[in-house]
Amino acid sequence: MNDRTLLPLPQPSIETQPFWAGVQERKLLMPKCDACGTISFPPTVACGTCEKTAFTWTEMSGHGKIYSFVVYHRVYHPAFKDKVPYVVAVVQLDEGPRIISNIVNLPIAEVTCEMPVRVVYDDQRDGYLIPKFERRS
Amino acid sequence: MRDKYAIVGTATSDLGRTGKDSLYLLEQAMRRAIDDAGLKVSDIDGIVSRGADDIYTHHQRIGARLGIDVRFSTSLDNGGASQILAVALACMAIDAGLATTVITGYGRNSWTRTHATEGSRTQMELVPDDQLPKEFAPEYGYFGAPGTHALGAQRHMYEFGTKREHFGRVAMAFREHALRNPNAVMKKPLTMDDYLNARMVVEPYGLYDCSLVSDGAGAVIVTSVERAKTLKQPPVVIKGFGTFNNTRGWLVEDHMIRLAAKQSGEQAYKMAGLSAQDVSTAQIYDCFTGMVVAQLEDYGFCKKGEGGPFVASGALELGGALPTNTSGGQLSEAHVEGMLQIVEGVRQLRHQYEPARQVKDAQIALVSGHGGNTVCHSSLLLGRA
Repeated sequence: MNDRTLLPLPQPSIETQPFWAGVQERKLLMPKCDACGTISFPPTVACGTCEKTAFTWTEMSGHGKIYSFVVYHRVYHPAFKDKVPYVVAVVQLDEGPRIISNIVNLPIAEVTCEMPVRVVYDDQRDGYLIPKFERRS
Repeated sequence: MRDKYAIVGTATSDLGRTGKDSLYLLEQAMRRAIDDAGLKVSDIDGIVSRGADDIYTHHQRIGARLGIDVRFSTSLDNGGASQILAVALACMAIDAGLATTVITGYGRNSWTRTHATEGSRTQMELVPDDQLPKEFAPEYGYFGAPGTHALGAQRHMYEFGTKREHFGRVAMAFREHALRNPNAVMKKPLTMDDYLNARMVVEPYGLYDCSLVSDGAGAVIVTSVERAKTLKQPPVVIKGFGTFNNTRGWLVEDHMIRLAAKQSGEQAYKMAGLSAQDVSTAQIYDCFTGMVVAQLEDYGFCKKGEGGPFVASGALELGGALPTNTSGGQLSEAHVEGMLQIVEGVRQLRHQYEPARQVKDAQIALVSGHGGNTVCHSSLLLGRA
């Protein structure tokens, strides 16, 4: 059982392990189809566009925009008790995928849909990095 | 399948804060539905249930409680879209000759599981811990159904200018209906000030945007229209049903503002030979207020993006253009994942209520079911025989 006083760390699967390993080196790596260039994330066996199965883990620009976001006021997990209110967003990366993350370094009232953002790497705890996003002007 | 099958019995269990087990509640609702139909338990030869998430081969447990062996039986796993899917599957099973009289239903004891004891209050998620996401969610504090659905509400507000006051009108209309329903959990009137001043849960959703955490069950019995004519209740005919699933996910394309309700509804309208103009009352899966606004658009009651002004017109109220969730819905009656919406649609078409609760001269009811990681949808069109 997890210690619920500690902020949760991701539990990578065999398929996502390269992503999280990349994040620890401050790189946003995702599988790019060798045939058509489509990014498949979360990873799949075959490309969603052309159905070919050869991918190369490729560094993303880290740039994107906010598709939508919400502000958590309720505490769902004891470790977030001192974090509320905080922003959870759907970030659309310039390369295509949408991922869940947090928006940081910005007053909550200034967060909007379609705002341009860039990746930053945040120490979740014990030096383990997770990707978050801040405003990009 | 239009006009071939009918709902001949329906009931709910005790609702609200029961302290009971989900199987107890579903057996109670099913026995009441069998009684409502004027049938005997031994007349049932099919069971389609939706399992509580932690019960294996749920339908067998129900058969054991009812004390019957049956020809056709299974449990569904499509979240809140399961309950209408069960009615559709009942029709298909009867059509295939696999059964003649099928009972469907769903029961849950969400309040008891999460609130009844001090220990249960630490069980914040209704799905078992080992089914919760392990990455791309917990590390960001992305938990619970309100957060997921609030993302869609925020995008709807951004694209179409929808306001929290619009969502508030949904909550207020359903609360007003609940006040006319003695079995509804919520008993106090809700004003716009109450709505706007309530604590935020996951912004833009506040307390009254979120459906209730309830115990409860509902059941319906499906058989042929011919057999229905010989039974106790005025039969309610199944005009059409449809399903669609945005299985690629909530975050993909515009799924969070254009729901699978659109294609599911088109399928149901086509089977029934009906359109939105023909619907007398809607019973919409109201897990959150914004999901009602989006579905009303998807079902064609107004254009996409105009759901906010549509609900602000008072359309959803009894006496309005489209009386919706006339028993109070999941926001104010009880949250049984769409099951009570089917029960209410049937009851409205029986014209069984006193004038204050009855949709005048109701002929066609639209019922919606939504769930399965927020992207699976089912639709049911019912009519008077």
